[in-house]
Amino acid sequence: MTINDKIIKSEQIKPKKQFDFFHDERVRSIFYQILTASIVGWVAWYLSTTTSHNLETRGMQSGFGFLGVEAGFDVNFRLIDYTVGVGTYGDIFLVGILNTLYISAVAIIAMIILGFIIGFLRLSNNWLIAKISLAYVEIFRNTPLLIQIIFWYTGIFSLLPKVKKSYDFSGGIELVLLNNRGLYVPWPEAGNSLWITGVAIIIAIVAAFIFRRWAHKHQDKTGKIIPIFLPSAALIILFPWAVFLITGSPLGWNIPELEGFNFVGGATLPPAFLALFVALTIYHSAYMAETVRAGILSVNKGQHDAALAIGLRPSRAMKLIIIPQAMPAIVPPMISKSMDVVKNSSLAIAIGFPYLVAVFMSTSLNQAGHAIEIVGMTMVFYMSISLTISGLLNIYNKHVQLVER
Amino acid sequence: MTVVNHKKTTARAAPLSETSVLGWMHKNLFSSIFNSVLTLITIYVIYLTLNGLWSWGIYDAVWIAETRRECFDISIGGACWAGIIAWLDNIFYGRYPREELWRIDLGLLLLIVWMIPLWLPRVKAKVFIGLTTVFLYPFLAGYLFAGGGKDIFMQIMISAAITCLIGNSVHSLIGVISGKTLAEILLKLLGITGLAAKIQRNILFAILGFAFALAYLWQMSWDVESVSWVKWGGLFLTMVIAGIGIASSLPGGVLLALGRRSKLPVIRILSTAFIELFRSVPLITVLFMATTMFPLFMPEGFILNKLTQVIIAVCLFNACYMAETVRAGLQAISQGQFEGAHTIGLGYWGTMSFIIMPQALKHMIPNIVGILIGLLKDTTLVSIIGLFDILSMLRAISKDTPWLGLHKEPLLFGAMLFFLLCFAMSKYSRYMEEKLSTTHKN
Repeated sequence: MTINDKIIKSEQIKPKKQFDFFHDERVRSIFYQILTASIVGWVAWYLSTTTSHNLETRGMQSGFGFLGVEAGFDVNFRLIDYTVGVGTYGDIFLVGILNTLYISAVAIIAMIILGFIIGFLRLSNNWLIAKISLAYVEIFRNTPLLIQIIFWYTGIFSLLPKVKKSYDFSGGIELVLLNNRGLYVPWPEAGNSLWITGVAIIIAIVAAFIFRRWAHKHQDKTGKIIPIFLPSAALIILFPWAVFLITGSPLGWNIPELEGFNFVGGATLPPAFLALFVALTIYHSAYMAETVRAGILSVNKGQHDAALAIGLRPSRAMKLIIIPQAMPAIVPPMISKSMDVVKNSSLAIAIGFPYLVAVFMSTSLNQAGHAIEIVGMTMVFYMSISLTISGLLNIYNKHVQLVER
Repeated sequence: MTVVNHKKTTARAAPLSETSVLGWMHKNLFSSIFNSVLTLITIYVIYLTLNGLWSWGIYDAVWIAETRRECFDISIGGACWAGIIAWLDNIFYGRYPREELWRIDLGLLLLIVWMIPLWLPRVKAKVFIGLTTVFLYPFLAGYLFAGGGKDIFMQIMISAAITCLIGNSVHSLIGVISGKTLAEILLKLLGITGLAAKIQRNILFAILGFAFALAYLWQMSWDVESVSWVKWGGLFLTMVIAGIGIASSLPGGVLLALGRRSKLPVIRILSTAFIELFRSVPLITVLFMATTMFPLFMPEGFILNKLTQVIIAVCLFNACYMAETVRAGLQAISQGQFEGAHTIGLGYWGTMSFIIMPQALKHMIPNIVGILIGLLKDTTLVSIIGLFDILSMLRAISKDTPWLGLHKEPLLFGAMLFFLLCFAMSKYSRYMEEKLSTTHKN
C-alpha cells in the first residue's frame, strides 16, 4: 500500500534538533533589518554628501538667515500687515500660512454643509431629486479640481462686469457688490463697548446649554417634550441684541464706496479667492455627499423601521436614531476630507492666489534660493496640520468606542 | 362556524400603482404635495439648464471659423468650438513633430492589441499577458515615443517586447478560435505530443529563442528619429505620466503596505514614516521638491530631466496612497486565512501572493480604482511646474493670437474628456467588483 509506505517514511524523518543558522527565523529577521537599515543609511549618507557638495560648488548658502531678509514683492491678499520693502521672507511665510488656513477653514465649513445637503438629497424618495444629486456628485468628482478652479477663475469670476457696472446683491443700496475685481462687503468696525455684547453672547450660549440639559432631564422625569430649538435660538439672538442696543450700538460699518475707478472701504475678496472657494467647496462637497450617504446607509434599516414603529415622526427618527448612529461612520472620513481641502488649497498657485506654496515655495524660492529650507518648512507646516488632524481623529475614535460599550 | 374555501383563489394582478408608469410617477415623483412642488420646480430648473446649454453649446455654437472674432460675427451668444477644432492636434499631441504623430498612434494601437486578450473569455495565460504589458510594453512604447539610438539593453528589451506581442496575439487568436494555448497547437503541428514533457519544453524554448533572434535581427534594421521630451505634450504626455504612475503605484503600494504591516520593527518604522511623509503633504509640494531638490541630490554631471523627476514624484506619491488602501484591504482579511496558509506549508511570500493579496486586492477594487482616478486627475498638476500637458495646452489656446481670450470652451472640453475617462473607469470598477465577488447575495 502506497499510503502506508508514506506514513512509515514520514515517521522516519526526525525533526531537526540542532540550531540551523540560515533557517532560523530570528537570525533572518535581524539580518533583513540590518540590511534595510544599512541600505537606507547609505542612501541618506550619499544624498547628504552629494547635496552639501553641490551646494558648495554652486556657491549656495544654507541656513535660515534668509527669513530675516526683506522680500521685496507684494502680496495682494493678506490678513496681517505686510508692506513691500519692509516685510521679510519670514513675514511672507506667515502671510502664506494664514491665507492657507483662512481659505481652508471657510471652504471646509461650506463643504461640510453642502455635502450634508447633497448627501440627504441623494437619499430623497423623490426620484428626480435623487438623480440630479447623483449627477452633481459624478460630474464634480470625475473632473480634475485644477480644471474646475481655473474654469471658475478665468471663465466666471474674471469675466464679471467692470467696476462701474457691478452686480449689486443688496437691491440697489450698494452694500454687497460683485465685479471683476472681486466681492465687496461691508466690514464691521468695533466700537469701545462692543466687548459687553461679546460677553452677552457667551452668557446666552451657556444659558442655552443649561436650558437644554434641564429640558432633557425634565423629559426623562415626566416624559413631556419641551421644545429646545426655538427658545435657545431666541435666547442666543435676542439677549445679545438687547444688550447691543442698550450699550448704544457700538459697531460701525465700513461700507465700500466708489472712488474714482475702484471701490474703497469694506472688505474685498479677490476673484482668485472666490474662484478657489467655490471650486474647493463644490469639488469636495461631492465627495462629502457620498460619505454622508454611505454613513446613513450603514445604519441598519431595522433601526429606522423600529423608530417609526414606536411612534417617532420621520424627522425625529432621523435626528434621534439614524444620525447618531451614522456619525461614527461619517466623522472619520469627513476629517480626512477636511485635510484634503487644506492640501488641495495649494492648487491656488495656478490662479495666483497668494497662498503658502505660491508665495513661499514658488516666488520666494525663485528669488532667495534656499531650496532645502523652503521645501522643508512648507512640508513641516503640512505635516504638523496632518498630525494634529489625525490626533483629533484618534481622540474621536476612542470617544466613539467608549460610547458603543 | 368555520367557512373553508376549497377552491384556490386565483392570484390578482399587481395593483396599477405598482406596475403602470403613472403609478411609478405617483410613488417616486408626486407622493405628496411638497414632493410634487419640488418635482415641478426641479423639472423647470432642468429645462432651463438644458435649454441654455443646448443653445449655447450646440444650437448657436460656431464650429467652423478662423478666429474668435469671426466666431463672434457669426453668433454672439454661442460657444466657439472652432478654436478647439483648430487646436485639436495640440491638445492631443502637444508640440510633437507633426510628421511623427503616427508613432504615438501606433504606440496606442499596440497597447490596445496587447491588452485586448485580457478581456477575451477563452484566452488562457492572462496573467502572463498582463505581466508582459506592465514590464515589456513600456520599453517598446518608450522607444517609439522617444526614438534615437538604441543601446544593447534597449535592443534586447524591444526584441523581447516584439516577440511577446506577436506571440500573445497569435496565442489569443488561437485561444478564441479553439480554446487552446499556442504551445499546445505548436506541439500538435510538430507532431511531438508523444515525447517526454521535458523535451517538449526544451523544443518550445528553442522556438521562443528562434523567434527572439528573428525579432532582434529585424529591429536592428530600423530606428526612429529622436524626439526630445521637451516636445512631448497634450493628452499624450498626461497619459504617459498617468500610465507609468498607474503601472508602478500598485506594486509599490503593495510592497509599502507589506512593509508597514511587517513584524520587523526597522522595516515597519521606515515604511510608516515614508507613507505618512508623502500622505501628509500636497502633490504640488512633492512636485516642487522633485524639481528643485532632485538636482541637488544628484552627483555632478548627472542631470535628470524634468519629465523623469515628475514621473518619480508622481510614482512615489501615489504608491503611498495605494499602500494605505492595500493595508486597509489586508486588515479586512481574517487571521484564519494566514493560519490556514501557514498550515499548508506556505512561507511569507507564498502566503501573501497566493492567499492574502488576491483577497485583499479584490475587496479594495473600488478604492484602488478611486486612487487611480485621482492619479489621472492629479496629473494635470504637472502643468503648474511647466510641463506642456493637456491642461497647459488648453490654457494656451486663450493666449494664441487668433483665439485670444477663449477660456471657457477649452476648459469645458478638457473637463468633458476627463469626465469620460474617469467615469468609465469608475463604472468599470463597479462591474469588476460584482463580477469577481464570491459572496452570496441575498
